[in-house]
Amino acid sequence: MKLFTVIGQYLVLMGNVFTKPVRRTIFFKRVVDEIEQIGVDSLWIVSIVSVFMGAVLTLQVAINFEAPYIPKYLIGLSARDTMILEFSSTIICLILAGKVGSNIASEIGTMRITEQIDALEIMGVNSASYLILPKIIAALVTFPLLNILSIILGILGGYFVAVLTDVVTVYDYLFGLNYVFVPFYVTYSLIKICFFSVIITSVSSFHGYFTYGGALEVGKSSTRAVVYSIILILLFNLILTQILLT
Amino acid sequence: MIEVKNISKSFNDQKVLKNIDVIFEPGKISMVIGKSGSGKTVLLKSVIGLHMPDEGEIFFDRREFTKAKIKFKREIRQEIGMVFQGGALFTSSTVEDNIRFPLDLFTKMTKAEKQKRVDFCLERVNIKDAHKLFPAEISGGMQKRVSIARAIVLNPKYLFCDEPNSGLDPQTAILIDRLIREITIEYNTTTVVNTHDMNSVMEIADNIYFIHKGENWWNGGRDDIFYSDNVELNEFVFASELYKKIKIAVK
Repeated sequence: MKLFTVIGQYLVLMGNVFTKPVRRTIFFKRVVDEIEQIGVDSLWIVSIVSVFMGAVLTLQVAINFEAPYIPKYLIGLSARDTMILEFSSTIICLILAGKVGSNIASEIGTMRITEQIDALEIMGVNSASYLILPKIIAALVTFPLLNILSIILGILGGYFVAVLTDVVTVYDYLFGLNYVFVPFYVTYSLIKICFFSVIITSVSSFHGYFTYGGALEVGKSSTRAVVYSIILILLFNLILTQILLT
Repeated sequence: MIEVKNISKSFNDQKVLKNIDVIFEPGKISMVIGKSGSGKTVLLKSVIGLHMPDEGEIFFDRREFTKAKIKFKREIRQEIGMVFQGGALFTSSTVEDNIRFPLDLFTKMTKAEKQKRVDFCLERVNIKDAHKLFPAEISGGMQKRVSIARAIVLNPKYLFCDEPNSGLDPQTAILIDRLIREITIEYNTTTVVNTHDMNSVMEIADNIYFIHKGENWWNGGRDDIFYSDNVELNEFVFASELYKKIKIAVK
């Protein structure tokens, strides 16, 4: 029963979020600010994780492909496809759920307990739309770009392994990267990350918006935001893969 | 004028407000007093629509507010100024950005006009040289004054103050009280102040509403308090030795 109440509350909140902004200029300014906070500030973590994961992935695949009848170029192919299909969309979003999601929930939660959201409402502002819509738009703009960046950097990480070690030759790695490339995989990855960006920002905002109490509750909301975002990302990953790839 | 008619509100089967009937008049300061947990904050939040009353009606200058559509409520709210207990200033914005915020959203003023209005409001609450500071960088008393400046920037018809003196020293509290009085007279606002600070009540109240166990237990003027036989009111107002002596002296 509580689940249905929460879903209902979430849908009502989203109904309030997706409304026409009061002033377009202020809205665009807020979107730009959020792009910086949500997207640009996540660049370093996405970059570092992608390079290292690409490198480790290449090493591990190479170690497991020791049999002589398995062509070495498959190492490059598997690094490419793993980055595109799963890592740069799902795993990066799980990381962003922790970084961006907790940030959003604690920001909005603190605004709630310090009555800043009440102040917005009293001024006649649709606080849900004012606070949450720019975050969703910013995530929809920046997360796909982070996805592309992650794919490139992950593949580059694998390339460094090919250059610096002898587990695979640069030629085999590059050949594998170009072997049987399915462009739709990139589309699939981008579709997934668009869904995940909405999940992370809206679920985290929801938990922050309905925070009541004090600092302890803000912390709890922040944790709940991350946990529920991760669960929903994994669930939608399964559903979207079933719909788009099978 | 704000008319509150027969308002009731419950939380989890506990009735917090019971059939409250009050009228807040323009150009006057109506003070809602009562113990902590008596229901005065719930009353204030119900009047401004942050809580939805279970029954009853609220009229802002004969305009029905309780069951009005959200768009209409937002229109009325643009005529409301509110000073929150903690100030509720936007922590990531400077003092002047906090005050400019309603102007940016709801007026078509030029940048220069907005700046002039912001400067005027800050001057009105006696704040100088704090335009570029953030709320965390100013004192509690200054935060309250910035909050008042933000509340009056759109020339509100209705001003609500939730415990405006809490956490302030007596001198700063009196300054805030006098500011609220001046603004009420100057703009002829319908001012409602929630407080349990008796100094504040004696300083500026025109009408007093004593809320006890969620009911409008007593109402009257400043001077009526000294002559009332209401037991609960006397226990609340004359709890301190100082006020007991004042009552004896007045009588």
